[in-house]
Amino acid sequence: MTDLRTRTEAAPAASVPSSTPSKRFGLSRWDAKYTPYLIIAPFFVVFGIFGLYPLVYTAWVSLHDWQLIDGNQGFVGFANYAELFGDTKFWNALFNTLSLFVLSTVPQLLAALGLAALLDRGLRGSAFWRAGVLLPNVISVAAVALVFAQFFGRDFGIVNYLLGLVGIDPIDWRAETWASHLAVSTMVMWRWTGYNALLYLAAMQSVPKDMYESATLDGASRWRLFWSITVPSIRPTILFTVVTSTIGGLQLFAEPALFDPGFAANNSTGGSDRQFQTLVLYMYEKGFRLFDAGYAATIAWMLFVVVLLVAVVNFSLTRRIAGKG
Amino acid sequence: MKNAKAGPLLYGFLVAVLAASVFPLYYSFIVASKDNSVLGEKVPPLVPGGNLVENITRVFDTVDFWLAMQNSFVVAATVAISNVVLGTLAGFAFARLRFKGRDALFLVVLGTAMVPTQLGVIPLYMLMSDLDWYGTLQAVIVPALIGSFAVFWMRQACEETVPYELIEAARVDGCSVLRTFWHVGFPAVRPQAAVLGMFTFMTAWNDFFWPLIVLDPNDSPTVQVALSTLASGYYTDYSLMLAGASLAVLPVIAIFVLLSRQIVGGIMQGAVKG
Amino acid sequence: MSRRLVGSVAATLVMVLAAGCGGSSEADGKVQLSLGLFSDFGYDKLIEEYQAAHPNIKIEQRKVKMEQHNTQLATQLAGGRGAADIVALEEGVVSQFRASKDKFVNLAEYGAKDLKSQWADWKWNQGTADGGDFVLGLGTDMGSLGLCYRRDLFEAAGLPTDRTEVAKLWPTWADYSKVADQFTAKTPNVKFVDTGRNVYKAILDQTEEGYFAKDDSYIADKNDKVKTAFDTAAALGTKQQTGALEPFSQDWNVALKQGSFATTTCPAWALALIKAGAGDAAAGKWDVTTAPGGGGNWGGSFLAIPKQGKHPKEAYELAKWLTAPEQQKRIFKETGNLPSQPKVYQDPEVQATVNEYFNKAPVGQIFASSAESLKPTYRGTKDSKVGPVFGTALTRVEQGKQSAADAWTQALKEAQDAVK
Repeated sequence: MTDLRTRTEAAPAASVPSSTPSKRFGLSRWDAKYTPYLIIAPFFVVFGIFGLYPLVYTAWVSLHDWQLIDGNQGFVGFANYAELFGDTKFWNALFNTLSLFVLSTVPQLLAALGLAALLDRGLRGSAFWRAGVLLPNVISVAAVALVFAQFFGRDFGIVNYLLGLVGIDPIDWRAETWASHLAVSTMVMWRWTGYNALLYLAAMQSVPKDMYESATLDGASRWRLFWSITVPSIRPTILFTVVTSTIGGLQLFAEPALFDPGFAANNSTGGSDRQFQTLVLYMYEKGFRLFDAGYAATIAWMLFVVVLLVAVVNFSLTRRIAGKG
Repeated sequence: MKNAKAGPLLYGFLVAVLAASVFPLYYSFIVASKDNSVLGEKVPPLVPGGNLVENITRVFDTVDFWLAMQNSFVVAATVAISNVVLGTLAGFAFARLRFKGRDALFLVVLGTAMVPTQLGVIPLYMLMSDLDWYGTLQAVIVPALIGSFAVFWMRQACEETVPYELIEAARVDGCSVLRTFWHVGFPAVRPQAAVLGMFTFMTAWNDFFWPLIVLDPNDSPTVQVALSTLASGYYTDYSLMLAGASLAVLPVIAIFVLLSRQIVGGIMQGAVKG
Repeated sequence: MSRRLVGSVAATLVMVLAAGCGGSSEADGKVQLSLGLFSDFGYDKLIEEYQAAHPNIKIEQRKVKMEQHNTQLATQLAGGRGAADIVALEEGVVSQFRASKDKFVNLAEYGAKDLKSQWADWKWNQGTADGGDFVLGLGTDMGSLGLCYRRDLFEAAGLPTDRTEVAKLWPTWADYSKVADQFTAKTPNVKFVDTGRNVYKAILDQTEEGYFAKDDSYIADKNDKVKTAFDTAAALGTKQQTGALEPFSQDWNVALKQGSFATTTCPAWALALIKAGAGDAAAGKWDVTTAPGGGGNWGGSFLAIPKQGKHPKEAYELAKWLTAPEQQKRIFKETGNLPSQPKVYQDPEVQATVNEYFNKAPVGQIFASSAESLKPTYRGTKDSKVGPVFGTALTRVEQGKQSAADAWTQALKEAQDAVK
C-alpha cells in the first residue's frame, strides 16, 4: 500500500486575488505592523493566565512557610532556598534526575534516529509500522506501570527469569540505585522512542530527494549518506527534540512514581533509600504528602533553573555535533 | 537509496521492534480477557482467555465509559485543533513575519516550555475554583489550548518549508497577512500540522495528572479519570481496569489511521526551488 | 479579587466550551450530596435505600484510588472548592487532616457528641480533637488485627496447623520471632512473613504511646517501646526471614499466588485482598488466628464533612445513618469490613461469621476479641511524617542495604528533621 504523496503546489500566489491599489496600501501597512502581534497573542494570553500566573504564584509561595491546606504561615524570605541547598535529599534527587535523564534520553534519541532512518525506506504497509512504533505512547500509563512491574519483579519477574537462564543472580531492581535507574530508563525509552522517531521521520520526508542523487551517483554508502546529508538536513528537528526531551526527561514523574510499589500506599520516596526519587517526585512528596507547599514550591523553582541550564547546554552541544557536513 | 527495496533483515528487525512495542498492550489485552489471578503467574500467559466480553460489560456497568470516551474525545480534539490552528499561526509569525521584538518574544515562548507542569497545580486549581470551572471540561481544555510545543514545532515547519519568495510574492500582490498565511503558509506545512495534531491529540487523551485533580469522576470524567475509578478499591481489579485501558486505546489508533495519510505524505519534492 | 478579573478576561478572550456543566448542588429542587470514598465501603444498597426513604435527597459516590483521594482532598481543601459533601478519612491520614480541622465542620454542632457511646473509646478519640470538643469524623470500619498463616507451609515446617494451637505458639512477639527461626530452620526457601514492617506496625500499635506522647511531644528517640519494636522487626529482616514486599502491591499479589511467604498480619479488610491475590487455588490453605501481643488495629476510616459543603445538616444526617450500628452490621455482612462499634461486633450474628476461604475461620469472633483487647495507641499530629521514615528504614534492612543499627540511626535523624 503506497501512500499518496501530495505534491503541494509551489505557486499558489497565482491564485491569490489582488485588491485595489489605494485600499491595499493603507490596509497593508497596518496589517503588516499589527497582525503578527494579534496572531501570537492567543499563546501569550493563555500562557499568561494559566502558565505565568501559577509560576509567579509559586515563586511567591516559595518565599513563605506555606502549608498546603492551612495556607500562608508567614514570610520567610529565602530561608526555604537556604534549607534546600543544605538538603541531602535534594542533591540526591538532583543526581537521580540527571542520571535518569542521561540514561533515558541519549540512547532514546539515537535509537529514534535509527528507527526513523529504517522507517524512511519506502516500506510496504508503512502506516502499519508507524502506528506500531507509536503504540507505546498511546497506552495508558496505568497499563504500562503494571506490565513493567511484572517485568522487573524481584522474585518472579521476566527479566530476572531471563537473566537466570544465563546464570545471573536475580537483581532486586528497586533496591539498587543503578538497577532502578536502568529499569526506569527502560520504561521511559520504551514509551518515547517511537514518538521521537516519528518526529524525525516527518522531518526526513521533507528532505528533497535530489540532495541524495548526486551523492548516490558518486557511490556513497547508505551510512555516509545518512550522516552527511540526512542528519544535517534535519538538524532543526533534532535540536527541537533535544530541547523537548531535555525538558521532559528532567521532569520525570509518572514512570518513577509507578515503579515504586509504595507510591499507592501514600509513600512517594522513590525507593527505600530514595534510589530513584526525581526532583518532581521529591516536590510531590513535600507538597502533597507532607503538605509543605512552601518547600515544594522552592524545589519547583530550582527545577526550573536546572531545566533552563541543561537545555541551553544541550542545545549548544547538539548544534555543534549535528552541524558538521 | 531511499527507495531501495527493504530487505528481509530490515523487516525482521522491524518486526522485533514492533513486538517490543506491542507486547505490553497485548499483555493488557490478555489480562483483560481473563481475570486477576493471571497476574500471579510466573510465566505470563500468551493466549487470550474468554472473559473479554464479560469484563468489557463490567467496565460499562461500573463507570459511564461512553461518556468518558466522549469527553476525552471532545477535550483531545478541541485541544488538538486549537493547537494546530493557533500554533501554526504563531509559528508562521515567528518564522516568516518581521515585527519588532520577534526574537525576544520567541525566547519567552522557549522559556515557558521549561516550566514543570506539576508546579502550577495548586494555584491553577484555585483559579479554576474562582472561575467556578471545577468539574467542567473547560478546566481541562482552556489551559491547554495552545502550548509552546505547538509554537516551536510549527515555527520550525514554516522555516523549513515556506519559502520567503512566495510570501514576498503574495504581499506584493496585496494579500493581507492572514490571507498570505492561508494560501501560502498553511498548505506548505500541512503534513507537519497533521503530526502536531496527532501528537497533541494523544497527549491530551493520555493526560491524567491534572484531570484527576480538577474533574469530578461522576460528572464529566475523561477516560483516564474513569480508568482511575475502575482501579479504585483496596485491591485493584486489574482485568477490569485493563479492559477499560484496552478500550481507551482504540479511538487514538483510529485517529492515527485517519491522519496517517497526511502525516506520511511527503511534501514539496524539490519544489522549493520552483 | 484580581484573580477574578484575570479569569473573566480569559473567559471572554478565549474560546469557551459549553460542554458538560459541573453538577449543581440543587438539581430540580433536590438536595445533592456527594460521598468521596477511596474504595468500596459497601454503601451501594444502603444509598439506594436512603434515597428511597428521603425522596428529596440525591446521593452520588465518588470512588478513586486511595492516594488519589488524599491528594485530591488536600487540593480541594486548599482551594476551598470541589470537595465532596462527605469525605472518608483513613486512619493513617486522620491526624494530618486533624491539624486543619478548621476546614471541617465540627460535628458536635449537630449533636455528634451524643453518639459517642456507640464506639469504643479509642476509635472515637481518633476522630476527635481538642480533648473531645471537636468531632472531626464518625468512625466507619476498623482494622482489627489477626494473624494469617498458611497451614500447608506450617505443616511442611513441622509446626502445628490448628489455629488454637498456633495461637498458643506466640503469646508475645518474642515468641513469634522464635517461631520464625524454627520455620526458617526447617524450610529455608520459604519466607516466614511478607514484610517486617507489618510486624513493626503491629507491635507499635499495641503500645499506648509510640512516636508521640499523649501531649503530642515527640518521644521516639527516648521511647524503649519503639526501639524494641524496631529491633524485633529488623531482626526478621537481617535474618532474611521476610519477603521484603510492599503489602498489596503487584509483587505481593504474585508472592501470594506463588506461596512464597507463610504469615502476615491481617486486619479484617485484608482478608479479601489475600483471597484476591492468592486465588482459588489456595482456598482453605490460609487460616486466621490471634496475633501476638493481644489486639491491634490497622486502618479503619472516618466520615468527615468539609466546611465548604453546601448542605452540612443533610450530610451529617447521612453520615450518622451510614455509621449507625444497624448499617455497620449490614456492611459487615456484605463486604466483611469490621464494624467499629462494640455493640455490633458483639452481636451474635456477627460473632458467628465464618470465612469459607480461610479454612472456615470464625473471623467474627477472632476480630471481635482482638478489638476488645486493643490498647489504643496515641497518634500524634505529625505521625504521618514520622511513620514512613521508620518504614523505609526497615525496608532498607530487609533489602540488605543497611544494618539494623545504621538504619535505626538514620531513621532517628530523619524523624527528628521531620518534626522540626
